[in-house]
Amino acid sequence: MSVHVQDLVLPVLAAVAVAAVVVIRIRTNGTEAAKGRRGRLREFGWCAALLVLSVIVMSSVSSLPLPGNLSSWWIALPVVAAVIIIISWPRLAARIVPVALIFYGLSGFVVARDYAFGGVINSYGLTAVGKPGLQADLILPQAYGLLLLGGWLVLHSADPVLARLRQRLGPVADAPLGQQLRTLALVPVVAVLAGFLAPRLWLAGGAALILTPLLLFGVLLVIRRWPVRAAQLATAGLLCAGIAGLAITAAWRGSVSVVVNEQCSISPQPPGAPQPPARLSVSAQPGKAQSVRITPVYRSSKPVCVPALRTFAGGGTAADVADVVWGRALPYGAVLVDSSTTAVAAGVEGLALLALGTWLAPQTFPLVRRMLGGTPDAELTKRVERLTVSRAVAVDTASADLRRLERDLHDGAQARLVALGMNLRAAERLIPTSPEAAIALVAEARRTSVMALMELRELVRGVLPPVLADRGLADAVRALALDSPLHVETDVDLPGRLPAPVETACYFAVAELLTNAAKHSGARDARISVWHSGRLLRIEVTDFGLGGADPAKGSGLAGVERRLATFDGILAVSSPIGGPTMVVMEVPCVLSSPKTSSS
Amino acid sequence: MRVVVAEDLFLLRDGLVRLLDAHGFEVAAAVEDAPGLLTALISERPDVAIVDVRLPPTFSDDGLRAAIEARRQVPGLPVLVLSQYVEQLYARELLADRAGGVGYLLKDRVFNDDQFIDAVRTVANGGTVMDTEVVTKLLGRRATEEALARLSAREREVLELMAEGRSNSAIAQRLFVTEKAVSKHSTSIFTKLDLVPSDDDNRRVLAVLAYLNG
Repeated sequence: MSVHVQDLVLPVLAAVAVAAVVVIRIRTNGTEAAKGRRGRLREFGWCAALLVLSVIVMSSVSSLPLPGNLSSWWIALPVVAAVIIIISWPRLAARIVPVALIFYGLSGFVVARDYAFGGVINSYGLTAVGKPGLQADLILPQAYGLLLLGGWLVLHSADPVLARLRQRLGPVADAPLGQQLRTLALVPVVAVLAGFLAPRLWLAGGAALILTPLLLFGVLLVIRRWPVRAAQLATAGLLCAGIAGLAITAAWRGSVSVVVNEQCSISPQPPGAPQPPARLSVSAQPGKAQSVRITPVYRSSKPVCVPALRTFAGGGTAADVADVVWGRALPYGAVLVDSSTTAVAAGVEGLALLALGTWLAPQTFPLVRRMLGGTPDAELTKRVERLTVSRAVAVDTASADLRRLERDLHDGAQARLVALGMNLRAAERLIPTSPEAAIALVAEARRTSVMALMELRELVRGVLPPVLADRGLADAVRALALDSPLHVETDVDLPGRLPAPVETACYFAVAELLTNAAKHSGARDARISVWHSGRLLRIEVTDFGLGGADPAKGSGLAGVERRLATFDGILAVSSPIGGPTMVVMEVPCVLSSPKTSSS
Repeated sequence: MRVVVAEDLFLLRDGLVRLLDAHGFEVAAAVEDAPGLLTALISERPDVAIVDVRLPPTFSDDGLRAAIEARRQVPGLPVLVLSQYVEQLYARELLADRAGGVGYLLKDRVFNDDQFIDAVRTVANGGTVMDTEVVTKLLGRRATEEALARLSAREREVLELMAEGRSNSAIAQRLFVTEKAVSKHSTSIFTKLDLVPSDDDNRRVLAVLAYLNG
C-alpha cells in the first residue's frame, strides 16, 4: 500500500496545530479565569476537544467537491479557526464544543441523504461513507449519538450562556431527571418520525440544515410550553414509530438494483416538462434487466439500490419506479434500510421503541394507569410530600412573622408611646411652676414621636412595602434597584398585576438576592429581568461579581427557595467561580389585566 | 399666598389647615380625595398645593398621580408632596419634568413648623425641596463613585444640604459658617462634579439632584 503526500497533509496539519496550542498554552500559563490546576485541566480538555472536533469536521469537508486549488486551504479553515479560538478565548471552547457537536450531528442527516441518493460525500466522523456494507450503516447512529452527547453537555454545562439557553426550557430545566427525559424524548421521536415519513424533505441537502433547527426549535417550544403534553406526544410517537418499524420488516420485498444509464435514450418528454426523465436500467431480483423511468433526482452513474417495499406495478420489461421514492435507502431512526439485514434491524429498533413507549404510557397517560389499576402515581405522591413540606414552611413563616411584628411593636413604638404619655403628663404638671422645664419635656416628647414614627415606618416596610402596595412588582423592583448600593439595571415587562401573595414573596426574594449580591459578591453591577409568559413569572437576578455562590452553604438562598416553594415556585443558581452569578426564579401564576386609572 | 391641601385623614387635614392659617396662608381648598384635588388644582390655580401621596379612591399613590397630572396640565404648578414614606422612585417621577416648584417630604417634618413653612414657601417660589432621607439614600448609592469620593467631608455636607433644597444662607446658618465660605464650597463641588455652576438657587438644586439621580 503506497502512501500519498496528500494523505499526510491532514495529520501533519493537526499535529502542528496541537503542538502550537500546547506551546502557547504553556507559555501563557492559562488565563486568570482558569483558576487552579483543575480549572486549567478542564479548560485544556475543552480546547483539545475543540481541536479534535475541528479535525473531524475538516476530514468530512475534505470530501466535498471543492475547487481543486482551494480545497486544501478550505479544509484547513476549521482547524485554523479552532486554533485562533483556543489561543484568544480559551473559555469559549467549552461553549462551542457542545453546540458544534449538535450541528455536526445534524449534518449526519445530510450525509445520510447524500449516501441514500448516491452522492459524493465519503467521510463522516469515523465512517468512510463511500465503502459499502457496515460503514454506511454507521452514519445515522453516529449522528444520533453526537446529537445526544451535545444535548447532554448543554444540559450539564456550567457555562453561563449555555445555562441561560437551558433555562429557556422553562420548567423542564429543573424537573426531576425521569420527567426531564420523558419530556425531552419528544426531540428524537420527532426526528425518527420526520426521517421516516418525509425522507426526501428531511434528508434534502441544505433544506435539512434549515428545516432541522426550525423543527428542533418548534419541538423545544412545545416542550417548554406544555411539558406534560410533550411527554404524552413523545410516548404516542414512540408507539407509532415502533409499529412503523415492524411494518417495514413485514413489507420488505427485497431490493432492486438500479443502474442509471446517462447514455441511454431519453423517452419522449411531454411539452413544458421541467426536466427530462432519465432512463434507467433496472435489474430486479432475481435479476432480469428492466428499463424504468425515474425522477431525475436520482441521476447518478453509480449503482443505486432501491428498497422495494412494493412490487413494481406494470408488467413486461419496463416498470415505473416513480413510486419508489426513497433512493437507495430508507432512513428509519438510526437504521438506513437498504437490505434484508437492515430491514430486520429496523424491526428490532421498532420493537425497542414499542417497548419503551409501552413502558412510558402508564407514566404519561393517567387514563392508562387507571385502566391498568396501577399503583398510585409516584410523582403525585412526591408532590403531596412537597406540598406538605411547603405548607408547613408557609404556616411557620407566617406565625414567625406575626411574632416578630408583635415583639417589634411591643419593644418599639408601643414603648415610645408610653414614654411620650409620661413626658406629656410630667410637662402638664410642670407648666404652672416651671414652664421652661415643661417646654423641654414637650420638645423631648416630640422627638420621641418622631422616633416612634420612624420605627413604625421600618416595620410597615418589612411587612408590605408601600411601593409594592401602590404600584405592584414592576415599580417595586425598580425601587429596589434604586435603593441598592450596586448599579442595578432593570428590565421589567409586566403588563398587569400579579396575585398579591406572589408579588410580596417575589419582592422579598429579589430584595434578599440584591442584599446578598451587595454583601458577598464583590460586584459593582447587577441586572434584574422580570417577565411573564404563558402562566409563568420569571425573575433573573444576575450580579457580575466573583461567583461561587452555593445554595447549600448560605441559608439565604435556601430560605428564598423554601418561601417560593409555597407558590410552586423554583429557584436555580448558576454561579461559576469567577462569576457571574445568576439566580433564576420561576413562579407559576396568572397576570391580572392592568388596573385602569380611577381618576 | 393661596394653598390647596389634600389629605384624607380629617385630623391631619385640620391640623395642616390650622398650621397654614397661623402662618398667614390662605387655604383656598382642603380636599380629601384625588379627583377633588385635580379639580381644585385646575380651577383654583393655587400658589402652592400640599398633597398626601396616599388618597382615596384606591388608597394607593392617587395623590402623587393627581399632582403629576396637574403639573402636566399646568406646567410648573408648585406641589409639595407629603408621605409617611419617601421613595426614590417617586422622587424621580416628581423631578422628571425638571420644572422646579416641587417638594417631597416625610409627614413628620410638619412637627418642625418653621422648617416646614420654609419648605412650603421655597416650593411656592419655584424652588425644590427634597427630604433628608431621599438625599441620604441618593448619596449612599453613589458613595463609591470617584467624583463623589473626591469631595471633602465639609463639601459633602454642603452638597447634602444643597440637594435638600436649602439656600446658601440657610446652609451657612446650619453649618455655622459664613455665606461666602458656602459659596466657595459650592463652586468647588460644581467643579469636582463637572457641573455647570449657577447663581440661581433653584437651578443649582435641580442640577445637583439630576446629577445624583443620573
